Amino acid sequence: MINRRTLLTTALTLGAMKAFPGLSYAQARPLVFATFTGSWEEAHKAVLVPAFRKANADASIVLDPMLSVDQIAKVNAARGNPPIDVMLHDPGPALVAIGQDIVEPFPVEKSTHYKDLIAEAQEPTGPAPFFQVVGLTYNPDTIKTPPTSWADLWKPEFKGKVGITNLNSTLGTGWLVEVAKMHGGSEANIDPGFKALEALKPNLAAVAANPGALATLFQQGQIDISPGNFNAIQILKARGVPVEFVAPKEGAIAFKTTIHVVKNSPNKELAFKLIEASLSPEVQTTLMKSPYLIVPTNSKVPMGGEIARVLAKDTAELKKKFVFQDWKKINEQRSAWIERFNREIKL
Amino acid sequence: MAAASVPRDVTSYSIGLAAPLTLFFLVFFVAPLVQLFVLSLHNDAAGAVWGIGQYVHFLTDPFSLGVLGSTLLLGAEVTALCLVLGFPIAWLYHRVGSRAQTLIILIVLLPLLTSVVVRTFAWIVILGRQGIINSTLLSIGAIDTPIRLLYTQAGVVLALAQVQMPLMTLPLITALGRIDMNLEDASCSLGAGSWRTFWKIVLPLSLPGVIAGCTLTYAAAITAFITQSLIGGGQMLFMPMYLYQQASTLQNWPFASAISIIFLLAVLAVVTVFGTLGRLSRGYGGA
Repeated sequence: MINRRTLLTTALTLGAMKAFPGLSYAQARPLVFATFTGSWEEAHKAVLVPAFRKANADASIVLDPMLSVDQIAKVNAARGNPPIDVMLHDPGPALVAIGQDIVEPFPVEKSTHYKDLIAEAQEPTGPAPFFQVVGLTYNPDTIKTPPTSWADLWKPEFKGKVGITNLNSTLGTGWLVEVAKMHGGSEANIDPGFKALEALKPNLAAVAANPGALATLFQQGQIDISPGNFNAIQILKARGVPVEFVAPKEGAIAFKTTIHVVKNSPNKELAFKLIEASLSPEVQTTLMKSPYLIVPTNSKVPMGGEIARVLAKDTAELKKKFVFQDWKKINEQRSAWIERFNREIKL
Repeated sequence: MAAASVPRDVTSYSIGLAAPLTLFFLVFFVAPLVQLFVLSLHNDAAGAVWGIGQYVHFLTDPFSLGVLGSTLLLGAEVTALCLVLGFPIAWLYHRVGSRAQTLIILIVLLPLLTSVVVRTFAWIVILGRQGIINSTLLSIGAIDTPIRLLYTQAGVVLALAQVQMPLMTLPLITALGRIDMNLEDASCSLGAGSWRTFWKIVLPLSLPGVIAGCTLTYAAAITAFITQSLIGGGQMLFMPMYLYQQASTLQNWPFASAISIIFLLAVLAVVTVFGTLGRLSRGYGGA
């Protein structure tokens, strides 16, 4: 007999099955790809996902944009049945994820494109389909002679015009390491970097909470020069904001953005296929063009457009101009650096 | 239930009706909180060694205590500003025609209808070097170079006050609405001036609203992650950002948990103080 109670129970059960489909269809969920927010999400939605679906009979895929650190937290919270299949990581978080044993080794021998990647991008724990490049960004309306070196940030004429980010971001941390190197330090010895930061204080107009906030400060005229991400600047530029990017003579900092199959993913095969698509020359060629301007890692992709103009004409020049950092070393002390930055950098 | 046959006392209710909500709170509020507390009782970042090291670390570190102090102070400043600006609006509300009342309510509620992120970015535009304030001051010749407004404590207080203003104004409007207007007339006819009437009659009677508004504004201001970090920038550290940094960037969950528990207790302490004041004010208001 149907009474109120059984009706309610049935309704609740059906509701729960709807709300948590994992209960009833553990194996049938779509491939979940955790990308970054903002331009990355746009680029992946417009280029990578269609390419993947075309190659894999319209397999269903969901983009779940979030920061690397949040991806790690989310997977860690449910290791046995992770809610994500493919993760995207900056070098720092990538090492954390590998260290915590939440990524699957990339099946190198199965891959068609892996061997075509430039050596720096070949990582058996998860290859790098993209580079992020950090150089100097400036407002060409107010700064007539383009800067050439990180040291230009300390020039007296930029008093109150320089923006940086704090060390929460890969951008901020990587930049500080370069500053330390400039003054005789290294990934293991950050002291010279902090000393130089102290001297930079009169020039600082802003310490942004994240790279996104830094980019908007150019729009507001709050800052005129800063270390900045190549892609973020191109997006601003495309929207008409007067901003230019230059690779400093010390070398532009290159961060490998690696892509990983999550351990215990129920969609390992599709995850591998997605990664393959991201490494393919077709996808990388499209992503290199405007408006995405993502630096390719597949050596078969000829450099073109804005990337050839301001970064490098080919892979050989790219390698010469790029500086890769030792994030293993950086991670060892990063929390101490963040703490030190919190204490010392008060404007 | 079984008690149906017994004649019911109309002033007591079966707690059965509260069970779903109780269960909901137990599962989605109490349980995670307990989990958070248990996590905070680990000395290492991986959560393998038990101990109260994280609490010791926080409570013996002048820097961490400074972050807590500045966060609590920020809340006090925002609350004070909201009270000073919000009270006249609430007072005005009961002294204007219904058309103007609608307008006031609309103005008070409007910020609530916009996302905090949008409102915060609007403040970046207003406070910026080439923002409305600076360009106005420059054009009337009051200043020569733009003054620094963004990334200052004052900027954070200003932006937070605007963002949280409805939380102060709405309880005040309600509280002031409960005061019998005749009391003011009586006070005036007995010879008290308008300020005296305000201090002796209006303010004490509106205290429950003031307390409610202050509690809401305070709690919202100190936990406002977005506004704090975007207007305050990366070098001004308040508790929510500190927590985020430890949990997300550094993946030091036990320390982050300890920070949350300490922050929670500090906020509860402040709210308790407000609550006590509220009880006292009720006695005052009734006198």
